[in-house]
Amino acid sequence: MSLSKEIYRALEGIVGTDNISDDPALLDSYRYSLAHTAIHLGPYYDTYTPRGAAVLLPGSTQEVQGIVRLCNEHKIRYKASSTFWSAQGYPSEDGTIQLDMRRMDRILQIDENNMYAVIEPGVIGATLQAEAMKVGLNTHIPGSGCSCSTLASATSYFGSGPSNLYGGWHYENLLAVEWVMPTGELMNTGSLGSGCGWFCGEGPGPSPKGVFRGFLGAKGCLGVFTKCAIKLFAWPGPATLPVEGTVPAYRSPLPENFRAYTLAFPSWKAWADGAHAIWDAGIGYLAHRQFNMFGRDLKYAMVRILTDPTRTLGDLEELLEDPEVKRVTGQCERDFQIVLAGMSRRDIQWQERALEQILAATGGWKVEAMNRKQVHDWSLLYLIRLGHKNLNLVFGGSYDGCFGLLGSADYGTSHAEEAAEFKEQWEQRGALVQAGGDCMMGPVGGQGGGGTCLWENFTCFDPYDRASTEGTLEFFDACTRFGLSKGWGVGMEKWNAVARGPDGRTTPKQERDRIHLAAPQPSVFRYQRKIREAFNPNDLGDAYYETLDDAP
Amino acid sequence: MALEDFAAEMERCSQCSYCKWIPFDQVKSWRFAKNCPSIAYHNFNSYSARGRYAVGRSLLRKSSGISSKVQHIAFSCLACGACDVACKVCRYNLEPLEMVRELKFHLVKEGHGLEAHRAVLDSLERNGNSLGQAGGGRGKWAAGLSIPDARSQPCEVLFHAGCGASYDPSLQGSARAAARLLQKAGVAFGILGEQEGCCGGRIYSMGYREQFLRLARRNIEAWEKAGIKTVVTSCADGYHAFKRLYPGLGSRVEVLHTVEMVQRLLQEGRISFRHEVPLTVTYHDPCHLGRQGEPYVPWDGVEKKIRGQIVVYEPKRPRYNGAWGVYDPPRDILRAIPGVKLVEMERIREYSWCCGAGGGMREAYPRFSLWTAGERLQEARATGATALVSACPWCERNFRDAAQAAGDSLRVYDVIELAHEAL
Amino acid sequence: MFPVQGGCLVDETRTALAQIVGDSAVLADPQPVTRCCLASDRRRTKAPSYLVMPKDAAEVQQLVGWANRTRTPLVPVSSGEPHFRADTLPQAPAAVVVNLSRLDRIRRINRRNRLALIEPGVSWARLLPELAREGLRVAMPLMPRANKSVLTSLLEREPVMSPRYQWNLLEPLRSLEIIWGNGERLWSGGGVFRGEKEEDWEKGLVPVVGPGPGQLDFYKFVSAAQGSMGIVTWASVKCEVLPRKRKLLFVPVSQAGRLVDFLYRVLRFRLGDELFLLNAAALALILADGGERSELRNRLPPWAAVVSVTGGEILPAERVEAQEQDIRDIARENGLEVVADLPGCPGEQLQEIILQCAPEPHWKLKSCGDSQQIFFLTTLDKAPGMVSAMYAAAGELPYPAEELAVYIQPVQQGVGCHCEFILPAVADLEQLVQESSRRLLAQGAYFSRPYGCWADMVYKADAGAADVLRKVKRIFDPNNVLNPGKLCF
Repeated sequence: MSLSKEIYRALEGIVGTDNISDDPALLDSYRYSLAHTAIHLGPYYDTYTPRGAAVLLPGSTQEVQGIVRLCNEHKIRYKASSTFWSAQGYPSEDGTIQLDMRRMDRILQIDENNMYAVIEPGVIGATLQAEAMKVGLNTHIPGSGCSCSTLASATSYFGSGPSNLYGGWHYENLLAVEWVMPTGELMNTGSLGSGCGWFCGEGPGPSPKGVFRGFLGAKGCLGVFTKCAIKLFAWPGPATLPVEGTVPAYRSPLPENFRAYTLAFPSWKAWADGAHAIWDAGIGYLAHRQFNMFGRDLKYAMVRILTDPTRTLGDLEELLEDPEVKRVTGQCERDFQIVLAGMSRRDIQWQERALEQILAATGGWKVEAMNRKQVHDWSLLYLIRLGHKNLNLVFGGSYDGCFGLLGSADYGTSHAEEAAEFKEQWEQRGALVQAGGDCMMGPVGGQGGGGTCLWENFTCFDPYDRASTEGTLEFFDACTRFGLSKGWGVGMEKWNAVARGPDGRTTPKQERDRIHLAAPQPSVFRYQRKIREAFNPNDLGDAYYETLDDAP
Repeated sequence: MALEDFAAEMERCSQCSYCKWIPFDQVKSWRFAKNCPSIAYHNFNSYSARGRYAVGRSLLRKSSGISSKVQHIAFSCLACGACDVACKVCRYNLEPLEMVRELKFHLVKEGHGLEAHRAVLDSLERNGNSLGQAGGGRGKWAAGLSIPDARSQPCEVLFHAGCGASYDPSLQGSARAAARLLQKAGVAFGILGEQEGCCGGRIYSMGYREQFLRLARRNIEAWEKAGIKTVVTSCADGYHAFKRLYPGLGSRVEVLHTVEMVQRLLQEGRISFRHEVPLTVTYHDPCHLGRQGEPYVPWDGVEKKIRGQIVVYEPKRPRYNGAWGVYDPPRDILRAIPGVKLVEMERIREYSWCCGAGGGMREAYPRFSLWTAGERLQEARATGATALVSACPWCERNFRDAAQAAGDSLRVYDVIELAHEAL
Repeated sequence: MFPVQGGCLVDETRTALAQIVGDSAVLADPQPVTRCCLASDRRRTKAPSYLVMPKDAAEVQQLVGWANRTRTPLVPVSSGEPHFRADTLPQAPAAVVVNLSRLDRIRRINRRNRLALIEPGVSWARLLPELAREGLRVAMPLMPRANKSVLTSLLEREPVMSPRYQWNLLEPLRSLEIIWGNGERLWSGGGVFRGEKEEDWEKGLVPVVGPGPGQLDFYKFVSAAQGSMGIVTWASVKCEVLPRKRKLLFVPVSQAGRLVDFLYRVLRFRLGDELFLLNAAALALILADGGERSELRNRLPPWAAVVSVTGGEILPAERVEAQEQDIRDIARENGLEVVADLPGCPGEQLQEIILQCAPEPHWKLKSCGDSQQIFFLTTLDKAPGMVSAMYAAAGELPYPAEELAVYIQPVQQGVGCHCEFILPAVADLEQLVQESSRRLLAQGAYFSRPYGCWADMVYKADAGAADVLRKVKRIFDPNNVLNPGKLCF
């Protein structure tokens, strides 16, 4: 559905001729394939999100306000995104104007003492981290990697990642925000609203952050966030990451106060015990079950490929026959990665000793093959910069995650093996990559200080292959049924199915209502509807902001 | 090849935007983190590799047609290959650089090439050069150097000057320096002079595949006739064409860039640097010598799947991810020159920022081309260097033009010029 | 309304309340005892008509339902008296005080997940030893009242002494059971896992998550809300491992500003556990009584950072030693001295004191029986300037500078700090509090917990927030029955 000439011209007047387009091919580059990454609703072969009405590249908060006001005046939906990775950032309704926030990409301030940065939406984790490191600070990077917008993750999405444990996840790290509200007014939140700077995100009194950020984020449906302050944390390392090696096997020989370990445990109970002990002791800079995303059977072989610039995926089968690979693969079934960062020499020494005690008490061990210098340094760089998240799709070009088992470590570990076996059986049917069933990846410590884990079971497939894509959908449907039968609830394979349907458009109301009414507390979605009515009266977002309207 | 051959990749593209940034592991600052001049300048997603995959898919599905915007999207690609390197840090079954080239080939084939590029073709066809210069005089750069004519005197080593050095007086110094250096080292070589043919690399990256093939075949034939076994050139564009594109057409010659030759001569002790050249320099890796300068590996294979859905190739396909490009020889040369202090920019080696001259950009979109070069000058300045050194006449030309336009006094040299000065 | 029945006047309100909570749990004409309120706050107060004491959430919910039907204001309180500040004083006539002290169960303490599930009537005095028995403790405020509700402390975002454990400003609060002003019950965060079944604890279905559920963050709406959005009937609270070893250190200085760089480094590396600044007046208030106080004040250094280092269950002595040495290194780099004792204040003595509830009379009330507190959030680098401004304002009254107690508490791992001035009521403080609050706001003090006169000030400065909160209030308490007149409502 195209915009009228008048509206197009009005928008052009706001952003400038070079920053607006409705060329069909250009608009098609702003559509997302639903056979793709972390969409948690499908996948659906040969299906794309709706074509936008236009794409705009605003360059300032004033321009964003102008656009939002105009949209309200003419009742045009709009949706802002920064890096356009994940279907959540794309329209689900025809005729939606897409805001590409890329031009607003400044790091406005890094307050070294009070440890926060003020950023615009186009700032990605990698550049924020690089600038923060220059002053001895670091930023949390969410699991989607350092290519993603820090502001988007902090204001509008989940924002969990490997450094939750020490750095806090982005829900926690979001401080004050500059918010273009859904009707176009500008609000400064928290301490900023009182003219006191960016340092506090709460209050005054009850916190408006509970509205606009909430828990899971409004996913682009409650206005546009144009600046935010994000809490940083200590980086006890060099001002620039030292990087060696030949592409892609880059590695970082960080000083001795940095250690990256792959820890493994004899049982899932021991794994959970280990996680709890680490949380209790307060050690660890980041902790994540990261490399298991390649699959129990393939992960070490993949590490061998990724750390050797002469190797390719074509070497996988040969490596899987290698006795050393087989041995190490067996050693790290129930594993996770941890990085220790000592704030001082004494600190790292104590942390190392504490870790040894934890391993002794739980029967766990450090996987020695991962301690070899080149692999160790590669792991450090991988986990700290988190710049290889594209590896999620390394095998066939697509992946999505199923199950989830979000909760305490005991919860996930009690069901992990069962979930793995279920997947392994489906892998044998051919539509998915045969990776050993357990491809579960997730943070060890879902929030600052630990306490929860997430078990996203990576399911890799080929989006170009109809049988693979449709077979994966069949598998995910089976996962949902299996999870429900086990009392695990609907897994993350369908987390977004409530917002978008198989045709790429908004899930029909009847289906949305069914899902919401089956939730433990349907009132949550009734309240969200009231919030939407209060703040977005023209309803210019989409069903990614989940609402239940079952008033008689 | 055709655009349709990339249909699978269009679906398998991660849509992750890694193609817009240098490999993240290498990011050292906010200022110098981007790798793709095209999207850095134009900002719309379509101006990146992932965007061009989507545009290509849109065209193949007939969801859209070739508009002036599509032309602009396609031909604003410098074909520098930075996206390719970044993508391949994680992906083993995508070829973004080949795809963006194919997109241009497709538009040209469909009659949507750019007027500005057609002018270059005309110049080639009429006058044998890609610079719009009058015909004749191609060998004049070598006046007074007494270099044997490879057509009439047996030579195993051919020095290929290239269009830039042949016709642009400000670039001839580098070719003359190269020739003198080789002579001083006692290397027996010849030139084709007037009969030297354009390598075709530039029109290849503009989207003119057929015309490139004609030029290439002509050159290969001329070399065979002259008994050439090794071609040495100071032009990175030519180097890439000869090394990576010609072998697929039957060329069997060894291809060396002058910097590789000089590094070899230094290591063998056939030359040494005695004179001081007091300069703080930073080195710019030309795309076609660096990440696109990797050895050619013949491959004729098919895609296959293992472990259900892992896409691999039979036989194993060369990666061409920039790992084995020519990065160290020019640096070794610079470090060996007394008085030269080499400082590095943030974006170097396989993740170097493009000079802005490639892909027909100077001809079609000169403002964007100069902006790209200007960005690089700023990056050079940020190192504290007073000179920017490269190993490609096109890079040097564009940097000098950008410096002049900006009133920047940063000096621009070719590595070989400094090497010759140090002899 | 008093209809006549059988010749006697019948109080319909009392009848209705008694039907919900039982007759013995209804008290007419309660006289709430409060301290630390300005006269202007008291003038706005209306006497409540009843005080009721429900025994469980079901009764609370019925009360709220009744309040909506009858449009009767309710003012929830959980702590024992005296209450501090005026948030529990009704501002609307004929209000009913809902005293939650009968909801006093410690429902669960779970060592594995380090959480405690508590009801609002659980006081600090009761909770601390129970946690210790399980090898746990909770990041706590500095010397809370023994009869203060733990849940209310955390709900009102009272600053805790250990910034290193605060990844967000609401910690250690986690899941809640909330009865909204509209009468609906909701479990926020992971509260759906209420742990009512033993097997849930075995399975790990526990309320460890604070935010959510869904896309709203419900517990943010009751946080620092002074009971005006919802009544919380239980909460899960994040606990920490009980240290096996502790050592308290002081860094004495003559001016607060001298500690800023030191504290920034200590906070950056998350050294120390309890970590805060006190001036001599504050320390003297804590440690001494009567005439001894001024004598102690003169012996103490003008300012001291209090840094406690702790070791948990793994290598505790080594941990304490390592941290202490690192702290000493930082102090040395800043030209400061670290000592185990201050004149008149042995470290071990203060260590004992700060880990417990305040003895009676509360240290903030010791002098003169009453005091005012001015507190707000700021950043450490601005705190000395705030202190100077407060002393300047006090000097104009004049208010005796030696009485002005200052407590600066880094929060949220150092991204900000709670700055508090305790003014024993040696003089009439109304004007001083009002005027200095205005000046401090102008200087950038963020009154994030806007009690009393701060509410008008803050919501005038931040009309946007007021607008948002009113919209939220209309959703969760559409008839404005919960503590009307507070904040911007």
